[in-house]
Amino acid sequence: MPAPCSACGASLAALRRPKTGHALCRACFLAAFEEETHQAIVAGRLFRPGETVAIGASGGKDSTVLAHLLQLLDQRHGYGLRLLLLSVDEGIAGYRDASLAAVRRHQRRSGLPLHVVSYRQLYGWSMDRIARHLGPRNNCTFCGVFRRQALDRGALLMGADKIATGHNADDVAETVLMNFLRGDGGRLHRGAGTGPAGGEGAVPRCKPLRHAYEKEIVLYAYFQGLDYFSTECVYAPQAYRGYARTLLKELEAARPSAVADLGHSGERLSLRSDLRMPARGTCQRCGYVASQPLCKACVLLEGLDRGLPKLGIGKHRRLRDKLQDGQPLTQEERRHLGAPAEGEPPEEQEPRGELGTDEEPRLQGHVKELIIKPFAEGEITR
Amino acid sequence: MKCKEASPVLVIRVGDAFCKACFREYFVHKFRAMLGKNRAIYPGEKVLLALSGGPASSSMLRQVQEGLSRETAKKLRFIPGIIYVDEGAVCGQSLAEREETLLQMETILQASGFPYHLAHLEEVFDLPSSILQRVPHNPAGPKNSYKEAVEGFIRQQRQEEGGGPSLPERQIQEKLAEISMRDAPGMEGLAAPEARLLAAVRTEQLIRLFGSVKTLTAKEELLQTLRNHLILHTARAQGYSKAMMGDSCTRLAVKLLTNLSLGRGASLAMDTGFSDDRHGDVVVVRPMREYSAKEIAFYNHLFGVPTVFTPALDTKALEKASIHRVIERFLYRLQAEFPSTVSTVYRTGEKLSATPGDASPAAEPERCLLCLCALDTNVEDGSALQAILVSEQLSQQKLPAALPTERGCCPGAEEQRGCCMNTTAPGADFLPLLCYGCRLTIKDTTCLESLPLYVRAEAERRKRRAAMKLEIQEFLLEDEAVTPDES
Amino acid sequence: MAAPMSLLVEFGGGAELLFDGVKKHQVTLPCQPEPWDIRNLLKWIKQNLLKERPELFIQGDTVRPGILVLVNDADWELMGELDYKLQDQDNVVFISTLHGG
Repeated sequence: MPAPCSACGASLAALRRPKTGHALCRACFLAAFEEETHQAIVAGRLFRPGETVAIGASGGKDSTVLAHLLQLLDQRHGYGLRLLLLSVDEGIAGYRDASLAAVRRHQRRSGLPLHVVSYRQLYGWSMDRIARHLGPRNNCTFCGVFRRQALDRGALLMGADKIATGHNADDVAETVLMNFLRGDGGRLHRGAGTGPAGGEGAVPRCKPLRHAYEKEIVLYAYFQGLDYFSTECVYAPQAYRGYARTLLKELEAARPSAVADLGHSGERLSLRSDLRMPARGTCQRCGYVASQPLCKACVLLEGLDRGLPKLGIGKHRRLRDKLQDGQPLTQEERRHLGAPAEGEPPEEQEPRGELGTDEEPRLQGHVKELIIKPFAEGEITR
Repeated sequence: MKCKEASPVLVIRVGDAFCKACFREYFVHKFRAMLGKNRAIYPGEKVLLALSGGPASSSMLRQVQEGLSRETAKKLRFIPGIIYVDEGAVCGQSLAEREETLLQMETILQASGFPYHLAHLEEVFDLPSSILQRVPHNPAGPKNSYKEAVEGFIRQQRQEEGGGPSLPERQIQEKLAEISMRDAPGMEGLAAPEARLLAAVRTEQLIRLFGSVKTLTAKEELLQTLRNHLILHTARAQGYSKAMMGDSCTRLAVKLLTNLSLGRGASLAMDTGFSDDRHGDVVVVRPMREYSAKEIAFYNHLFGVPTVFTPALDTKALEKASIHRVIERFLYRLQAEFPSTVSTVYRTGEKLSATPGDASPAAEPERCLLCLCALDTNVEDGSALQAILVSEQLSQQKLPAALPTERGCCPGAEEQRGCCMNTTAPGADFLPLLCYGCRLTIKDTTCLESLPLYVRAEAERRKRRAAMKLEIQEFLLEDEAVTPDES
Repeated sequence: MAAPMSLLVEFGGGAELLFDGVKKHQVTLPCQPEPWDIRNLLKWIKQNLLKERPELFIQGDTVRPGILVLVNDADWELMGELDYKLQDQDNVVFISTLHGG
């Protein structure tokens, strides 16, 4: 027979909380989970009255629970927020179209306004097409970089003051592990992705669920009967992040508090002061926040447009500089950047530094201008 | 291939093959370079090598021997001693097996020609509480620079040349004569049967202590803590000012990710850096930190470095049984697929700072009772720690009604308060004295009464001091946070 | 057809614990149609020498990550790893680097 609930002492416990080890009944769990989210919002001063908050809605469990909770807590505690759903359509057949359907169902139920921005519309490339060029690896790099900007651009279009994302404690813990596995000192410095605001984009970010366990989010959605889309992204299995994810699950199995413990670690890391940190500037091409002359998205796009999809992946700084100076690359260098082996034009036939061709090379020219506008016109002052 | 002459015997990095002779030179040079670069060990300083019998520390011992046997100009100039800690009681070794291991270890220790100390983990029950206090670095010591110290030492050595053995050797002989090797502090002056009886009681106590720890993860942590205290005690008692640990690069990469997962992010740099001065007077150094486990295994194999395999807490345990185990397996697997994994993790660790950026160097931070790292448990708004505390609070009954005392975990302890404060949080009043990571260890310990007396006594002392401070708070003027002498 | 061959197989660094604590094994490999390589040797060891917890020594068709292999005192990475063709009187050493130090 299950133990009595450790909070009310009356009902029988329905679950054991991985974070604290307590056994709670269903009602006490729901109440505790909601109250914790509220306290996280208050303590972290995540919102101000009157703000317009765009909720990054993917149709998955995290953003569905987040949207549900923000609406509920806004009513319960009178935050005075204007809440919107913002979805990004990466163009992944069989994954995003189904999850967008879940977002639309949520929209109908909740009555919150929904906006969808697509990669194709913003960048001229859908993820499916990128994946065809790139092969199985590194898709998540493109998707992640593009999504970050896509949310910003979408939020600006909607006039939002803030973006709230469904990142949970597991995501934070994975990021802490990832930063070590990739040797990413710069990210460690920025609080290993654990800080309250994202800090990277043009619109302030917040993660109200960043202390909530993935397991508890799923339980909450289950008990509340929330409808969400739960298929893994078709490209995710190949991603390096998957290793960190598997590791985290094993750590949690060995000690359930490990997820929160990693979060604590991430917050308390301090970087040596003598290490130079990249200066933050703006992208020469689109005006987005960037530590290099071009932001990551523009470098990736450049690579795609030139038929050198690996241009923005890994350490190709020298080659990138060469391209910027208009110097031609050797065959080997081109192959290094992921140029297709077959059908390559001989070196001497390359037209003045314009490398590689694509079926629809210049189609996105006008689209780019549209995208560049919000940043280039200086609407963003931070 | 480096020398292009002899045939290669191993690959360290891709395309970087060594023959036996070049490998040896490379390996030996790396050790000297590590010590030279860090300039942490002064000439004539007494250095305690912590030898576990495992590959890395055995290899470290060989490097010190190599260094001391060099001609004067290249000679290492410190005075080594060795400590071996027998942990057999908690690692499932029978008495006979422990004796067998000790015999093997002693052969190696004697062959080294250095003074040595055999310690048994049981001796932690006789440690003084002062082991948990930071001792400021001896201010009377030489304040001059490393360079001056080296020059002074060479001058002194020249004067002594020609008459009698050289300084380190003479000191070694003196030490060998003066150190009585096996007596644990508590066993002094006891007749043999009584000593044996006491030893048996201690072993029993130790087994009970580890038996009261619920998880293998916490057992690993506790063992490490106690072992460090024992090494520190021996160093202090015998006048060593440095303790050398044999952590390899591979080991440190595992430790970095493990400690990260144990919530020890704040002390990561101290736990894995070259030098670690948390104890103040005895500085821990890790000169093997740039060798991979593979280099060490090859060196030991090719140059006949003796090692002794002793079972660890987790030997043959299930692979997912502890955080330590999970991380080790994960890293080795990833390393097999991405050969730069270990070095990337290691180098990320190098980027960390041992002192939190905003801490003023003047204020001495409050330190964890067990690991002596600066406390990382201040509750910041919006932090993970705050969220955990909120969750704990919300998951418990609002009014802690005066429940009838539930069954105590220690026989006979039901009536007195002390052993188990309550069932959800054993030793709740202990926790404020600990860092985040050590709190987790203690939360997994069901019976705090079985902790050694020095830990409990120091905890009491700190609690009393805190209470006293609270009482007199209102009479204190601002800025009067000066703690009266901690001696 | 490979003739029977005699090898000295050694285990160290704690790997010997999975082989009853015996470090050195003088073994004779039987005749078999295809030549003996390390891949086959590992299978043979699993069937004939391993006493317990095979997954702590062999994973998939190779050694568990963290176990070093030396063939005649040289890194097996220089010898073709699993594909190395064993010779009569070869010395193969397996050293575990797991949890040492």
